Amino acid sequence: TAAAPRPWRLFGAMCLLRLPRITQPLLKEEEEMAALMGQIEVEKSHYSDHEIRKLEEEEQLKRRKESLYDDETTGKTVIMAQDLEDKWEQKLLQFKAAPRITDADKNNNRTSLNRRLDSNLMLLVKQKIGNQELWLLPQAEWQPGETLRSTAERAMATFLGDHVQAKILGNAPSGIYKYKFPRAIRTEDNLGAKVFFFKAFLQSSDLSQAELKKDYLWVTKDELGDYLKPEYLKKVSGFLLD
Amino acid sequence: IKAVSPHALCSIFFSSARLPQAVPFRGGHWQTSLLALRASLPVRSQPQKKKKKVDVKREQAQKDRLKKKIKKLEKASPELIPIEDFITPLKYSDSSRVRSLPPLSFEETERRVLLMKKWSLFKQKQAQAEKKAIQTLVEAQQEALKELRLESEELYQAAIRRDEGLFPFERDGPNYTPPLPGYDPPEGKCVDITKVYTQ
Repeated sequence: TAAAPRPWRLFGAMCLLRLPRITQPLLKEEEEMAALMGQIEVEKSHYSDHEIRKLEEEEQLKRRKESLYDDETTGKTVIMAQDLEDKWEQKLLQFKAAPRITDADKNNNRTSLNRRLDSNLMLLVKQKIGNQELWLLPQAEWQPGETLRSTAERAMATFLGDHVQAKILGNAPSGIYKYKFPRAIRTEDNLGAKVFFFKAFLQSSDLSQAELKKDYLWVTKDELGDYLKPEYLKKVSGFLLD
Repeated sequence: IKAVSPHALCSIFFSSARLPQAVPFRGGHWQTSLLALRASLPVRSQPQKKKKKVDVKREQAQKDRLKKKIKKLEKASPELIPIEDFITPLKYSDSSRVRSLPPLSFEETERRVLLMKKWSLFKQKQAQAEKKAIQTLVEAQQEALKELRLESEELYQAAIRRDEGLFPFERDGPNYTPPLPGYDPPEGKCVDITKVYTQ
């Protein structure tokens, strides 16, 4: 006996995450503990070769200053351990690393991927549902003959193009958002829709080739509340860490 | 007992019969050819049969001893590979290397103990929060799979299937600063001198 066709329409949505590029800043307790661990490590250690050399040279200098006669040959120039340390310090100061807070951070440019390098960013696109333009995770309607995962991949491809590489975490959906259509369009066969979310990690680092057709945003979990409806937000943050 | 030399024998026969030298004389079963008289084993020593036995026996005994030794060596467990990190080189156990530091004050020890206690509490809260987060993740997925099952069994089976391409999962961890665009690393060659042991 064939099952009666269900009145729910199925959608597959892709939650594309850009993983953090830099470490998050340490909390106060973590900083204190790191300092303590460093202290204990120094206390429990023995002198290294470099430190012994430094101590010996300091003693030599002291003896030379105290003794008025210069017995040792002053002709040859010896590189002292202290000089080496100064040289290394200079070299470190000359190197300029890339800033942790980028320009996109300062401008709060939410379309750029270089913002908030220490947290996950996810893609939001503006889609037309019914007669409303809403900010959603990119979704596409399921067509018979494909799995839900391929529906989600298709959704991602329509918004970002084919050249995007993303690692989808498994065949199973991570979350679901179920809603009933407003009474105006609700019928016996068309009760509502179920949106299945799939989580994926963005692999390709630059999306310059991607043709972004509509409005898009890259936002963190705490900024989701600015764009998503409350019910939708609740379901989405259910399957997002941090 | 001295055996009669076949040479003497054949010379007797020669003198009487006057045979041409080209024809090989087959006087005894131990004489294969005239010219090869002295090539065989010297007949003056002990008869050959006894020597063969002793030789064979001795050789067999030697082979068995060797085989036993090989078996013993193989049975012995393989030598453990030394972990270089756990062996302190002797030059660091010199007493002149010991650091001379003033003893810790009472306040310092108190501060350290209190900090350790705060840290253990902090870590416990962190671990609990992680476990809770993972629990919510799993619950969300279970709910999604339940709803999917209600929809269609076929899609559900496709969703439960294992994703072969997922593992091994590789990822470069986050660094302290983002990569510098257009950075030119200094020239040089890295030579790996780690010792590799084979068992």
